Amino acid sequence: MSKSIKEALESTFRDVQVSFREDNRMAVTAENESVLPILRFLKDAGFDHLSLISVVDWIEDNLFELCYFLTPYMQNDDEYTDRQKLHIILKTPLPRDEPRFKTVIGLFPNAEPYEREIHEFFGIDFEGHPRLTPLLLERDYEVPPFRKDFDTRKYVAELLDSVPPIETKKK
Amino acid sequence: MRELELYFGPQHLGMVGNFSITLKVEGDRILEAAANPGYLHRGFEKLMEYRTWIQNFPLVCRVNVIEPDHIEMIYAMAVEKLAQIEVPERAHFVRSIYLELARVGSHLFGLWAYANMLGFDTVAQWAMYHRDLVLDLFEELTGGRVYHIYIWPGGVRRDFPPGFTDRIVHTLHSIGGCVPDYNSTFFDNRLFYERAKGIGQLTQQQAKEWGATGQTLRATGMKYDIRKVEPYAAYDKVDWEVPTRKDGDAYSRILVIRDEMIESVHMIFKLLDAMPEGPVYTRMPNPFKWKVPKGEAYVRCESSRGELGLYLVSNGGDKPYRVHFRTPSYPHGLIVLEKLLRNASIADVGNIMISLYVVAPEIDR
Amino acid sequence: MDRNQITKWLKSPAKMANKYSLHAVYFCTGCGIIEVPPSITARWDAERFGIIPVATPRQGNLFLITGYVSVKTLRAIIRTYEQMPEPKYVIGFGSCPINGGMYWDSYNTINHLDKYIPVDGWIAGCMPRPEAIFIGVTHLWTLIDKGMADGYIKYREYYGAYRRNQEMVLGKLEWPPLFPLTDDPRGDEQ
Repeated sequence: MSKSIKEALESTFRDVQVSFREDNRMAVTAENESVLPILRFLKDAGFDHLSLISVVDWIEDNLFELCYFLTPYMQNDDEYTDRQKLHIILKTPLPRDEPRFKTVIGLFPNAEPYEREIHEFFGIDFEGHPRLTPLLLERDYEVPPFRKDFDTRKYVAELLDSVPPIETKKK
Repeated sequence: MRELELYFGPQHLGMVGNFSITLKVEGDRILEAAANPGYLHRGFEKLMEYRTWIQNFPLVCRVNVIEPDHIEMIYAMAVEKLAQIEVPERAHFVRSIYLELARVGSHLFGLWAYANMLGFDTVAQWAMYHRDLVLDLFEELTGGRVYHIYIWPGGVRRDFPPGFTDRIVHTLHSIGGCVPDYNSTFFDNRLFYERAKGIGQLTQQQAKEWGATGQTLRATGMKYDIRKVEPYAAYDKVDWEVPTRKDGDAYSRILVIRDEMIESVHMIFKLLDAMPEGPVYTRMPNPFKWKVPKGEAYVRCESSRGELGLYLVSNGGDKPYRVHFRTPSYPHGLIVLEKLLRNASIADVGNIMISLYVVAPEIDR
Repeated sequence: MDRNQITKWLKSPAKMANKYSLHAVYFCTGCGIIEVPPSITARWDAERFGIIPVATPRQGNLFLITGYVSVKTLRAIIRTYEQMPEPKYVIGFGSCPINGGMYWDSYNTINHLDKYIPVDGWIAGCMPRPEAIFIGVTHLWTLIDKGMADGYIKYREYYGAYRRNQEMVLGKLEWPPLFPLTDDPRGDEQ
């Protein structure tokens, strides 16, 4: 099952590295341009559940790694197959300075809040996203907080610990 | 009629949890809804990068306050996968029983919230009391009522105390004895039917498109349950059923929750019968010097709200390199809720939100 | 009711009535809210202590800050607190409002709640049990008796300093000051 997906991916797309692990996880690394075609290919192949979009900040390589997690829903309402165990992690590298990518909302409508969150926490722009407004944070951060070069302890020491206590007059 | 913007929450009686929604309304009808989370954002995924692997255990369970146990479980599973730690057979069973107890407790809390919302105060009091009985079990087992920190990489912290299985059976029997009362006052009640039927209805196609899992998906007929799809702990060792409904509305979702509770109780009895003897944990290396090998893992389990996932990356150090939780409330609260609120009336906002089982700290993390 | 109580009632009925009818504002500020439903339902029954949750801040005089306070919630807390009528009492519930607790190094939670609004009592622990809530409340009664639960007076007196601290974290606040601001941030020096 997973072997056929692997072969289909390798024969359809060039520059794709597919590694299959025993724990039903398949890691696919692709170039930026081929991510959307691969996602569409996988969706047509039955991987219709985008469970997560995540980013890893590899600061030493000066790269962001954008990861899409795909898994199939059940085809029938009450039939469990080995296919549902398979999880595909599609990864693509992005440059760390001025990172931008295309949105996948057209394919997977549930990508919207994930992309919004990534924009907020990593500063990656998604072209074509309808609302890249702040989602969770209230304050503006100079460095988006989930990047590795944002030091939360330093930030707390500089901002929150500098708020003075209320001085009251002794009675 | 004039359109206007209405802020719903966070300080609002119709809102459970610290969450808010911006509604664009025309009269009583909602034209558009925009969820506004973030009131509980603590930045777990950042904080965990600053703490060692073991130090993270007290932290992760605070992601979801209503049932911290599945979050512990998933973090332990991911660490075990990265460090290749074997878990003893008995620990699998202990974990399953513990997680099912947590599911019962969490569903009773959900039942409290929903009954309260619909105006069934008696049922709400019962549900909260019965949840307290489950919490008493947890308190005896782990020492904490709410946060337990019981699951550990390589097993669980300690075995069941003597006589504990009898007390589990006793507690579950006393809760199960009240199921007819619950049915006659709430689930079979005409008023409940009137107030919940047809509210927040979605089709299976929509549920799949919006990334729904858990009760929201199961109420549309699909038996999608990670415990069956990709079994972990001891869920493949016993025989059990996944309850579903067909209609996909609030009424179906609550009935799925009730059936799941009953199924969980049956499952606990079966697990207790099948539980083998033996150790419940493998000895771990010194936690202060413990380094987890380089690699990445994506694990998932079925929390009481749906698919809970964890993406964990290690660079071979003594701290995680990157952590990302895929919480079930995230798509439910930010996509499904927004879409379902369109064309609903203001009075149904709380009803839809609680029936989707959205818990705010899970969204914000 | 013992003799002592009767004298207290006769001496200052308003204070006694205040003390025994603490109306808690229904606002789930953090994860500590998980222990509030058990306390207000049948098993622990907070109504024995005169505590009942109310819908709007205008009706309430007790504000339970249940758990950590994120920056976004702080804005809502200040709004809610300023809407409550006097006399009003604030109890910080759990370790996190006291000094940050688990989240002492989080960029999005404030560490010391009493820098932003006055707090009359603290209940430590994570989670505090329902009994701890009641001990905290009975302790608050003692404070009210002795006239030491004066957070709202302090807020009026040092409003400038509180407002300055709030604006340090939240930026310029969009609502007008509740009390007239004096030039000196530490309040009136008379």
